[in-house]
Amino acid sequence: MSDNLEQLFVKQLKENQNIIHKICRLYTNDEDAHKDLFQEVTIQLWKAFPKFRGESKFSTWAYRVALNTAITLYRKSTRTVATTSYEGQKHFLSQEEYNFEEEEQIKLMYQAVQQLNDIEKALVFLYLEDKDYTEISETLGISEVNARVKMNRIKGKLKKILNP
Amino acid sequence: MEELDLLKKAWQKDSHKFEQVSENEIYKMLHTKSSSIVKWILIISIIEVLFWTLISVLWNTDDYIRKMHAENTIVYFKAMNFINYVVILFFIYVFYKNYIKISTTASTKQLMHDILKTRKTVQYYVWYNLGMAVVSLIAGFVIQFLFNPKMELLKDKIAHEDNYHTLCITLGVIILTFVVIFGLFWLFYRLLYGILLRKLNTNYKELKKIDL
Repeated sequence: MSDNLEQLFVKQLKENQNIIHKICRLYTNDEDAHKDLFQEVTIQLWKAFPKFRGESKFSTWAYRVALNTAITLYRKSTRTVATTSYEGQKHFLSQEEYNFEEEEQIKLMYQAVQQLNDIEKALVFLYLEDKDYTEISETLGISEVNARVKMNRIKGKLKKILNP
Repeated sequence: MEELDLLKKAWQKDSHKFEQVSENEIYKMLHTKSSSIVKWILIISIIEVLFWTLISVLWNTDDYIRKMHAENTIVYFKAMNFINYVVILFFIYVFYKNYIKISTTASTKQLMHDILKTRKTVQYYVWYNLGMAVVSLIAGFVIQFLFNPKMELLKDKIAHEDNYHTLCITLGVIILTFVVIFGLFWLFYRLLYGILLRKLNTNYKELKKIDL
């Protein structure tokens, strides 16, 4: 593959890397596994890049490949256990809007999400990314109606995890 | 759900900071090797095909047949060999077609389906070879029985016995041989693919359940 293509890819990936980090964070439970999955996603994206024609945004195209890698291609188990040590280092809210109670609530919610299975996590991820149900259903390959039904069930499950 | 919407708000603001990967690091990653499940399936499949093809090609039946003085069966073995080559070529074609269809940009369900289909192709090839091995073993037993002079004693014993004792033992030994061979292969494949595909199978089932 030409150097130009490589340059273009690296630039785009660098700008859009947060999307991959978010998926890695959701599907792994320590820094090493995070890096490992990030690397595998990068390789898969690079392999698929020559077919990327720019019909959609790079980010839209990337999260599909990244999700597929995490759920399907990545060999190691991605089941995560909710750990506070790894999560504890990160803050969801920036300093200006910091609110202890809200931050705690978000953290607990995030830990609950991490207890879901791979497929449920994918649905939640797409929901958090504000994708509509048409896109969610197309990405996962399920019907739109059932994507909605499943999302509602997941919300119920999350509620149960938070208030056992 | 209030908490999930709180998370969504924070999530979208991207304030969930990550240690940024530099361009240099990305370049390095591009030149490392993938360890994806698809790659493993490809490697294992190539080994399997080579193994079975070598066995069927190297399995020299001609000497055996000559030793048994069963030359008139050679034509059947030649036909079997020919079928074998056709099957190998057909299999490689189907495998290649399925393999290149695997795309990470497809939907998750489609991707899983395509991976499992590719692996099934290899599985069918292995079953075909095991079937051929059984046919060869049966043919070997029959030829022994019909053409090996040492078998006369056994034949004689079976023919003159009232309680089928020797016949039962002979059949028992043959069946046991098959069971052991099949059992070992079954166990090997269960272990190999069980470990490799456990996650994929679980997720595929989960995904299919949503649409039920």
